[in-house]
Amino acid sequence: MSPYVITILLSSLGLGTALTFMSSHWLLAWMGLEINTLAILPLMAQHHHPRAVEATTKYFLAQAAAAATILFASTINAWATGEWNIYCLTHPIATTLITMALALKVGLAPVHFWMPPVMQGLDLPTGLIMATWQKLAPFALIIQMAPTAHPQLLTTLGLLSVFIGGWGGLNQTQLRKILAYSSIAHLGWMIVIAQFKPQLTILTLVIYIIMTSATFLTFKLMTATKINTLAMSWSKAPIITTMAALTLLSLGGLPPLTGFMPKWLILQELATQGLPLTATIMALSALLSLYFYLRLWYAMTLTISPNTNNSLAPWRLQNTQNTTLLTIFMIATLLLLPLTPLAQALI
Amino acid sequence: MLYFLDLLLLSLVVGLVGVASNPAPYFAALGLAVAAGVGCGALVGHGGSLVGLMLFLIYLGGMLVVFAYSAALAAEPFPETWGVGSVKAYVLMYLLGVGVAVWWFWGGYGDHWVVVDEFKEFFVVRGDVSGVSLMYSVGGGMLVVCAWVLLLCLFVVLELTRGLSRGALRAV
Repeated sequence: MSPYVITILLSSLGLGTALTFMSSHWLLAWMGLEINTLAILPLMAQHHHPRAVEATTKYFLAQAAAAATILFASTINAWATGEWNIYCLTHPIATTLITMALALKVGLAPVHFWMPPVMQGLDLPTGLIMATWQKLAPFALIIQMAPTAHPQLLTTLGLLSVFIGGWGGLNQTQLRKILAYSSIAHLGWMIVIAQFKPQLTILTLVIYIIMTSATFLTFKLMTATKINTLAMSWSKAPIITTMAALTLLSLGGLPPLTGFMPKWLILQELATQGLPLTATIMALSALLSLYFYLRLWYAMTLTISPNTNNSLAPWRLQNTQNTTLLTIFMIATLLLLPLTPLAQALI
Repeated sequence: MLYFLDLLLLSLVVGLVGVASNPAPYFAALGLAVAAGVGCGALVGHGGSLVGLMLFLIYLGGMLVVFAYSAALAAEPFPETWGVGSVKAYVLMYLLGVGVAVWWFWGGYGDHWVVVDEFKEFFVVRGDVSGVSLMYSVGGGMLVVCAWVLLLCLFVVLELTRGLSRGALRAV
């Protein structure tokens, strides 16, 4: 792709998210979401193979339907209440419609079906953008409208996402699909707390972005898209393989690692709000996700693939890929838990 | 005027039924064109003169012509008209649905969506048209953003379809 075109597309990707962030008016927020969707399409289809084009088409259809629903619902709200402000979304039909449309946009559970195939059709850097940057703008809107949204709807979306994210990832051998389901499960945690303490949603989103970036960049370094390939990673980069195992446990939310922090705080907040049943169900569902992270971990580090390996020491060669970003994200993924008091003081 | 408006709204429903009942694409395109045209007429009748005009020029004049053209490219040897069995069943079902909806929601209709008296000094210029000046003065920044979105759209379409060998919509 021409560098001029890619500059235009990437800056528009930033512009769309920034417009949605700064907007207090539903029309501008909708416009930002549309700019975001439009700008990522050529990036998704830049390797012109059928799977990428199919993924682009699916993504476009899902996002366009969601954006049209948002426009429709905000118009209904403006018609009924005369108010375009995002905080003033009070009409019940409009609120429910917009909740579902934003759920479709980020890929929450009953409307998540576009997400695993779309992720599977992309290369790893574009998948990284899809799992991180593309979630920011819809979440800015979700956080603003969560106080007026129907509480049971949000809880249902969250619980369904956590369970479907866990169950869906169980039977996969493709890493990008597993990461898509892991994304769905994490989104469930974010949405279930959005009505009680939106700051925790932001915290969970930030930490999820850090953890999933580390995972995507590791897989990119290994050029791994299947569990099979992952089993060979010990010969490519042994130390990163060891740390990647810990990254996966952090995604699963095990205590001495960063991924434990959002789960801990969310469970505490749910218990404080007098919702022990929801908290228990969420905690149990995390085991489902943990199972497939553990399977990746097992394939990566705990076992050696029983085939004849021609190249035992490619790790001796100089790696040409830039690992600065991976370093930052991976250290943050592994070691941020001691900063929990700081996070609690800020929120 | 009231009867004329009723005729327009009736044609709108008939046009939408014509689209929704799954005939061959170019008959559906005809239904869509009818629905869009009379929809613009209905908008004018309810006080949205400028919006009606813009929709007529842009939606009908630009987009639908392209759509009808590409639908005609997908021509079938034996197109299904509205008289063919399966389509006719859909037509009757939708008309029945419309009838039930009319029976259910009868009454409580007749709002104008711009109150003309709201704009006392501009009683000749309708509120709709004075909105144009507002769009260019207060909403100037938004217009710039809209123009950028359209330009971006052009870039995206060109990037997705450029090159004979690497068109996005065919397998390479």
